[in-house]
Amino acid sequence: MLVSLNWIREFVKVPQEIDAKELGLRLTMGTAEVEEVLSIGQFWEEIVVAEITHIEKHPEADKLNLVTFKKDADSSFRVVCGAANVRVGLKTAFAPIGTTLPIGLTLEPRKIRGILSEGMLCSEEELALKDKSAGIIEFPEDAPLGMSLKEYWNKSSDTLFDIDNKSLTHRPDLWGHFGMAREFSALFHCKLEDRFDEDWKRGLESKFSKDSAPITLNMEEDCAGIIYSGISLDGVVVEESPDWMKEKIESVGLRSINNLVDISNYVMLELGMPLHIFDRDKISGSSLNIQSVKESCAFKTLDEETRQLEIGDTIIGDNSGPLVIAGIMGGLSSGVTETTKSIFIEVANWKAAKVRKTSTRLGLRTDSSMRYEKTLDSRLCYRTLLRTIELVKELCPKATIIGRPQHVGVNLEEESDLILDIRQEEICRVLGKELKLTEMVSIFESLGFGITEKKGCLSVTVPSYRATKDIDCSADLIEEIGRIIGYDNIEPVGPLLSVTPVRLSPLHHLKRRIQDFLSLEAKSLEVNTYPLIGAELLKKCSWENEAEELKLVNSLATQNDRMRPSLVPSFLEVAALNQKNFDHARFFELGRTYLKGDKSFSKEDDILGISFFDKNSSPFLDLVETCEGLCRFAHIPSDLTGRHPKFKSNVIDEQWSGIHPVEFLNIRIMGKMNGVVCSVHPLMLKKFKIKGHLSFAFFNLSEITSRPLKEKIGYSPLAKFPGSRFDYTVTLAKEESVELIFKALQKIKIKECSGHEIVDVFSPGNSSDRFITMRSLFQDPEKTLPGDYIKECEEKIITGLRKSGIGLKSS
Amino acid sequence: MLVKLEEIEKDFTTRIEALAKEADLLNLKSEFLGKAGKLSEVLKGLRNCSPEERKVIGPKANAIKDLIQTQIHKKIEALEIDIINKKLNENAIDLGLRKGRFSSSLSGGGLHPRTLIQREIEDVFLSMGFEVLDGPHIEDDVHNFEALNIPADHPARDMQDTFWFNDPSASDGKGNLLRTHTSTIQVRGMKERKPPFRFIAPGTVFRCERTDASHEFVFNQLEGMMVGKDISISNLIYFMKTLLKEIFKKDVEVRLRPGFFPFVEPGFELDISCLICSGKGCSVCKQTGWVELLPCGMVHPNVLVAGGIDPAEYNGFAFGLGLDRLVMMKYGIDDIRHLNSGDLRFNEQFKSY
Repeated sequence: MLVSLNWIREFVKVPQEIDAKELGLRLTMGTAEVEEVLSIGQFWEEIVVAEITHIEKHPEADKLNLVTFKKDADSSFRVVCGAANVRVGLKTAFAPIGTTLPIGLTLEPRKIRGILSEGMLCSEEELALKDKSAGIIEFPEDAPLGMSLKEYWNKSSDTLFDIDNKSLTHRPDLWGHFGMAREFSALFHCKLEDRFDEDWKRGLESKFSKDSAPITLNMEEDCAGIIYSGISLDGVVVEESPDWMKEKIESVGLRSINNLVDISNYVMLELGMPLHIFDRDKISGSSLNIQSVKESCAFKTLDEETRQLEIGDTIIGDNSGPLVIAGIMGGLSSGVTETTKSIFIEVANWKAAKVRKTSTRLGLRTDSSMRYEKTLDSRLCYRTLLRTIELVKELCPKATIIGRPQHVGVNLEEESDLILDIRQEEICRVLGKELKLTEMVSIFESLGFGITEKKGCLSVTVPSYRATKDIDCSADLIEEIGRIIGYDNIEPVGPLLSVTPVRLSPLHHLKRRIQDFLSLEAKSLEVNTYPLIGAELLKKCSWENEAEELKLVNSLATQNDRMRPSLVPSFLEVAALNQKNFDHARFFELGRTYLKGDKSFSKEDDILGISFFDKNSSPFLDLVETCEGLCRFAHIPSDLTGRHPKFKSNVIDEQWSGIHPVEFLNIRIMGKMNGVVCSVHPLMLKKFKIKGHLSFAFFNLSEITSRPLKEKIGYSPLAKFPGSRFDYTVTLAKEESVELIFKALQKIKIKECSGHEIVDVFSPGNSSDRFITMRSLFQDPEKTLPGDYIKECEEKIITGLRKSGIGLKSS
Repeated sequence: MLVKLEEIEKDFTTRIEALAKEADLLNLKSEFLGKAGKLSEVLKGLRNCSPEERKVIGPKANAIKDLIQTQIHKKIEALEIDIINKKLNENAIDLGLRKGRFSSSLSGGGLHPRTLIQREIEDVFLSMGFEVLDGPHIEDDVHNFEALNIPADHPARDMQDTFWFNDPSASDGKGNLLRTHTSTIQVRGMKERKPPFRFIAPGTVFRCERTDASHEFVFNQLEGMMVGKDISISNLIYFMKTLLKEIFKKDVEVRLRPGFFPFVEPGFELDISCLICSGKGCSVCKQTGWVELLPCGMVHPNVLVAGGIDPAEYNGFAFGLGLDRLVMMKYGIDDIRHLNSGDLRFNEQFKSY
């Protein structure tokens, strides 16, 4: 919103010595954010009356003259000028170097055809006074030399504050200059001159007539109306507005239309309350009905657009149909035109939520609806109505008021003031700053609050224009004091606190360990992907669950219209993106998946996903190793296992067609398949145009941290006796997994056996077998194992393996 | 005899110079020190000397013996080193063929830049006794709005473009939605605790907003809340200044100006002096010298009540920090969309090593 300093100065004498930038800063720090401080019409002050003293031809150009002139007795300037009407003795307008003309041009020292020009003699066109002009301005002979045009023509310059509307959301009282002036008065300690006092009111009321009002008002109970008042005038003449009015409304960005339309805008900009003026001759019948729309219908608004009204919208209508959409915009048919003779002025207050609802639905936010949405003060209607009458009378002196104002709606007499009690020390305590009572009282009073004080307890009467939604508890009062004294005047002080230990939650702690391990040990990069995905991607992945239940009603795009049920689709996308730039890529994400909940609307799980990609060979085993290491590092008890007939993975759909037929292992954690490592099927890779090998691992961290993770580092005394080892080579068919050997060995129970290792794998090219050299280790902490006992153990292993169908390599 | 000894010494030092084989050196040693060696020969004549002569000749002879032994030993050792070094040089590895230079190698891993900043802030607050919390992304109307003093028709809802799962109007305010701010965790945090308490809550939030270089529909915030007896604005300023000093590693000028947020009263916008132009005014700060960094304020009494806390007894402050914005400022990232892109060319710039 634009606020004009000239307009503010009509109500409060803002100190002249404070410059515009400083005013803007204080407003930002105390009231609302000033986005920009603009100065307009500065050129009126800079452009002065000058007299031409000498003219000669430009040596290089026929049509140009070198014009010498003065702006006081002793000065002499020279410019290059192309105007035909130059003559010695002519008084005209001179814009010196540095002036910014209304057409946007800033004058700089400039050579025209080799001759320096010291500014510019202006035409009316260049001052934006006319669309076209033939030559430079010709002032009468008595125009005083050196006088600025501001003074000579009585033009004004102004400072505008562009205020961020968002910072006024809670302040309906600041949507007009008078309300804003009150802030200036509090911030700069200067008195607000309230010209809208009782005398003023009585003066206008004396002009009401005894005639009966030509329009009667009816208001339906459940519509948006709170209060509706209006008055009729006859004998108005629609014409151009006077300059002072045009200048003001145009300075804050509105267009001047005609005197009546301008008055309604002017009053809104001044007092913050919108109003509407009807052409009374276009009201059919003698009553206006404020009511809800009964059945949806089309309606043409002032801006010549046809809008669809729906049941529940509130309109003001006559017996022919709707005339105005309440609080938003008038209709084209009943508005003021150049031929309007008699008018009806409406000033009303509407329910904020209803106006907002209709305006949002219509996509029509007007100066009026923006104000009503903030919840306006019904008590301001009458003042607004009187001010409008005052201006109509001023601009159309022959206009006559017919009757008295009509009102329907709430009875304002019954409304009581909001009074809040607050103690002086409460204000000081919350601010963290000592303040004198007198200081507080003066701030409250400057903002229009009424104060009675008793032993440090303030009884604060909140002005009605602040009580609509803004102020309703003592914290709100503390803000008033805080912002006016300035928060920068409060010293930072640390509070006195009891000391208690804090720790990260188990989940948070686990996440940090995972991040450390995967980035440092597994050389992976942490990424974040979007929690929202689309059906298209899920289809591309052949994902069974298309997450229809967690679909948004107002998504921005179909590729982000639902919550992801798994990290897999995002991971495939990211892998596809990166394989273009990397031959091998490792990344991980700590993200969430979202599923429909059993009892609640949704269930969110914290998931760790890891992806290893390699152009040339399968990274599956590296990823398995990483997962094993990660589990040890993070104290997650785990073992690797294949598919289980009964217990299915908790983190991936085992039926998903994207799973590699061989490279798949479940990770059993605390009895559940809370982890998985698998490679992606080449066909799925093909769909995503991924050339290479891709393996994923997923862990459900929410499940894993549902029970405490225990650190499992233990000490046992160092062995005092040597152990012994037994190496042997077994034969295994090429298609069989070494896993078989380990499974067979697991079944052989030897107390002193401390483990088995693979020593070597030999696959002769011409054989269908592989030869695996294994090593078994034996150790007894209490004694050296006797040779014949070791022999016995070795026999046990060989027979045990044979029982499982694994034979020693025949030599 | 003394003369003879000196001759032997001279003879030895000259001859050892010329030798370059271990066997020759050993021969030389025995030639001088062996039973029939030159030195032994000389010493044999010692018994004919007077005790005074012996006092001089004895030590001298021993010194020469030591000299011969050490010189021979040193020379043999040097020869051995020469031989080994020669072999090592023959089998030298190429010092330029470092593993990291191969296309097959993995360069170091690293954390997301957001994680880096988040951890830093978490650690600052942990050190000041704040817990770290999070909550669900899919929330209901109550946690995201109602309990935060934002009733259904509040204009403040205009400021937050919410993603809804159910039609918000149809379900009478009980709609499910994606949280628009981490302030939801204020509500959850209050309900689970008894004052005094203090916590921060970093987390993902969602806004139904068109995306561009500085706007995302998924981004991260960090909420903070402290509730106790007699908490003041002065305390709030203290924590904010401490936080910023820790993040930027220097005193940062801040200013607090009024700002409207329904869940705080009084509410503030905290601006920091523009780091790009040091407050002189530039395009980043729109010539004002200040950059809006975080909204904060004293917790609104209605919010305390909704969290089960008696506002007559306790009060507190809360703040919300745009984590992604801070990440972008700290590292000079020009497009917020990189943060969620998964493009490793971006992430790899934040490698830990």
